[in-house]
Amino acid sequence: MISRLLRTLNLLLATLILGTILVVTVLYFWLNRDLPRLPEDLQHINLSLPTEIYSADGERVKILGGRRPIVLEDISPFFTKAILAVEDARFYHHSGIDRRGLMRALWINLRKKRITQGGSTITQQLSKNLFFSFERNWVRKIKELLIAFQLEVTFNKDQILEAYCNQIYFGSGAYGVEEAARVYFRKRARDLTLLQAALLASLPNSPNNANPFSHYERAMQRTEYVLNRMVSENFITVDEKERALQSDVGVVPLSVKSDPNLYFANQVLEQIRKDYGKEFVHFGGLKIFTTLDTRYQERASKSVRNHLEVLDGRVVQEPGTSPLQAALVAIENKSGAVRAMLGGRDYSRSQFNRAVSNNRLPGSSFKPFAYFTAMEELGYSPATVVKDEPLTIDIPGSEPWSPQNFDEEFAGNVILKKALMKSINIISAKLVHEIGPEKVIRTARQFGIKSPLGKNLSLGLGTSGVSPYEMASAYSVIANLGIYNEPYLIQYIEDFYGNRLYEHYYQGVQQFLPDALYPLLNMMQGVIDEGTGRAVRRMGFRHPAGGKTGTTNNFKDAWFNGFTKDISVSVWVGFDNNNPMLSKSGKGLTGSSAALPIWVFFMQKVLEGKSPVNFFVPEQIKFATVDAQTGYLADEFSTETLQVAVKEDVDLSPPATLYEEEGLDEAEPFLDTVESSQDSLSPEERNAVSDP
Amino acid sequence: MKFSGVRKSWHGAVGLIVLSAFFPLEFYTNLFEKSVGYYLKWQNHKRPQLGRMWEQDRQSLVAQAKIKSIRSSLNLQEETALGIPSFKYLFEGLSPGFPLVVSREKFLQLYYDFPGQWSERIISSYDLVELDAEKNWDRVSLKRFGPWITLRFIDRQNSPLRELFLSVDTLFEVQATRTIKRGTLEDAEFPENRIFPISEFLPVLKSLDVVTQKMVFPEPRWFLGKNYHITRVGISDLPAGESVQHLLLGVEYDTDYYMEVLLIPVAVELANNMMSQIERVDLSDLSPNETPPSLGESP
Repeated sequence: MISRLLRTLNLLLATLILGTILVVTVLYFWLNRDLPRLPEDLQHINLSLPTEIYSADGERVKILGGRRPIVLEDISPFFTKAILAVEDARFYHHSGIDRRGLMRALWINLRKKRITQGGSTITQQLSKNLFFSFERNWVRKIKELLIAFQLEVTFNKDQILEAYCNQIYFGSGAYGVEEAARVYFRKRARDLTLLQAALLASLPNSPNNANPFSHYERAMQRTEYVLNRMVSENFITVDEKERALQSDVGVVPLSVKSDPNLYFANQVLEQIRKDYGKEFVHFGGLKIFTTLDTRYQERASKSVRNHLEVLDGRVVQEPGTSPLQAALVAIENKSGAVRAMLGGRDYSRSQFNRAVSNNRLPGSSFKPFAYFTAMEELGYSPATVVKDEPLTIDIPGSEPWSPQNFDEEFAGNVILKKALMKSINIISAKLVHEIGPEKVIRTARQFGIKSPLGKNLSLGLGTSGVSPYEMASAYSVIANLGIYNEPYLIQYIEDFYGNRLYEHYYQGVQQFLPDALYPLLNMMQGVIDEGTGRAVRRMGFRHPAGGKTGTTNNFKDAWFNGFTKDISVSVWVGFDNNNPMLSKSGKGLTGSSAALPIWVFFMQKVLEGKSPVNFFVPEQIKFATVDAQTGYLADEFSTETLQVAVKEDVDLSPPATLYEEEGLDEAEPFLDTVESSQDSLSPEERNAVSDP
Repeated sequence: MKFSGVRKSWHGAVGLIVLSAFFPLEFYTNLFEKSVGYYLKWQNHKRPQLGRMWEQDRQSLVAQAKIKSIRSSLNLQEETALGIPSFKYLFEGLSPGFPLVVSREKFLQLYYDFPGQWSERIISSYDLVELDAEKNWDRVSLKRFGPWITLRFIDRQNSPLRELFLSVDTLFEVQATRTIKRGTLEDAEFPENRIFPISEFLPVLKSLDVVTQKMVFPEPRWFLGKNYHITRVGISDLPAGESVQHLLLGVEYDTDYYMEVLLIPVAVELANNMMSQIERVDLSDLSPNETPPSLGESP
């Protein structure tokens, strides 16, 4: 009887032992192919060189992949105790698996009928961090366990703990305890206090949910839990715990100062990833020197933030929707260097870069390209008379199109310069109708617009989406009198040893002749001096400048694009969800009220202390004061005059033959006769250059 | 029977003890984990480099390989730029749309290496001195765009300090102004009776005014600096039945390895004037049917 019992027991035990060995053997051979090889040592793992991004003014704006591995002696003992207490109290006693911890976790999970506690040891976590994905499945768990066994016999406990401390993620982009100590407390890991060490030790388990930057209360609760665990494990006394809880944790607020730079920095990384591959960026140990001027970026951020705060109080906003957003791009005209790129009002809340990735309708700010095409193709000049009148254009296969002016009024005969200054929609529609949208698209491409543009008559009213980046670049061609400089963000890239791998060379291309472009530039100066952009002057901006406002239907987008001799800046304001920007009184926000002030604030700051620089005037350009209705040289009968810049061959004098026919002295022109004679010409024929 | 039963029970008990001993042994020594661990360690070298860590390692290698490839390509470009032997190659080597960058030193070397005044027409040496005064001129970027060549004198940050536009026609001027041909004056088809020792030519050259001297003959430094030893000088003959504005002055010199002739176009009047001044011992060989030498390589 006894012998039978013993035999059965023996059999059971032998079966158990052999079964376990068999199961492990089978598992091993099954998983053998997928089990990774272990490195020779743990000290040099994942030590890729950091890639650093620098601004043109010498500031380091971003580090990518920078890890700061340290030896165990350089870590505060508070931290090692805290991490052991909370993650693996029996670390120094097991060989990769903590059976008691595992049983406890199993029991708790079974009781709660969900996974609330993991039984992974530090070695298992290191194994997972080094080799495996973070998905939860049994096969991965077994592989992780097998590698943990191997880690335990290959390296000593301190080596494993050190590697773990250097590998784990603490949230807020910090990998490794040294980096985490710097991010959260701006100090070295060796200088951490008990409370700080406990806080950090609480993070690997929930780096986002218990992040002190975003969930301070929760973080402190977790910290207290860690301290309690330390007491339980006799790592500290209750008294020490109490004292620690009374002390100030000293979390340093996340630096928001450099945040706006991240729009620029991320765009730079995106570009390099596209050109050279992501490995090059993340593991190249590069030093990327950009064109960014952090002072410009800072001013852009402040201008946007301040003005949007004002607008927030005025604009009706749907509850629960994202706030009013803005984007700003500043480009140095002579080189094409992008000096500032702000993709939104607050990087920490929205990383979407509206400066490059957000194609929004430019509205009237697209008109200069239509006007310039008309001047080039039809031989028009800024003094050419066009008629602002009700317009209906038949479109085959579609409803007739009747564009409307913003104020729904018609100005009658006006010269082209005034039409642009007042941003008259009818005139733009007429011009595009006359020259055809294809030619406008061709011109826009020469100005550097790369976004798809619709071949429709409303193109001149800005009905095809473009980005602020493109608009700033296109406007810089006007400021440059026809020279297109491809906008660029990267000045040069060096490898870790300082060897240059890439450098930007200026690629200025004369797209248009200066004397062809100057009249447009002068018209756009008119926009700022007396047109829809006159608020620029009212706000006290005195530098010679040109620009154009833009407002789309239902006030969904507000633009102001403008330039001085040195810099071109595009500003967009709108809602991400395309909602109209309406004030409580129902009045809409326009380019002039929403975007223009940002432009002025920004320009005033960046040009502070700088002398005004006039635009270069080409030799073949002449200036004349003309009658704003007839386009002829102004005389004593002119009720409204405008100064225009035209090519030298443009004749602005009234036809002398008219006076001769009437037998009148040229010095005493008879207005009625002139007007009746003008009426015999189509408005567009007046002052047109004979041979375009 | 009983003994046998006791013996079996005894064996069973021993077996049980042995088997049971495994559990405390495992509990206190982690025998099982260690055995598996050691086996895996033993097999480690046979296993593949899988997982995040090795993937990052691989990506790091890819990045380093990319950097290496970019650097070798740039080094090649730099070596090519360094190896440019003359202004002619510098300009003719420009492909439309692809900029070529040469260092300040290389540009100056080519600038002063040209045997004549042509390089002064690109940019005056005084302008170069002015450009250099700021101490930030680092390189020269050349780019061909349509019928134009753009020369940008740039600093270390590639900001242009000065920009020049040259017509592609300028290349033809280089070709016409100074060319070099391998061989002797006879190989360059200079008539024998119009070839003179340098000692006969130099007094004539010295008698010319400085401006004409510079038009006719390169700076002597060009020969001396390169260890070129001038042997003879020749003046090409007027082609029969053709009216030309220029004849060629050929300066034959010895380099370390071979003979070369530098061909310089000279106004017919000046050529004739020089000819008349050179005392000829034997005029009987003068042959009017000799054709002027063809153009060779330009420096």
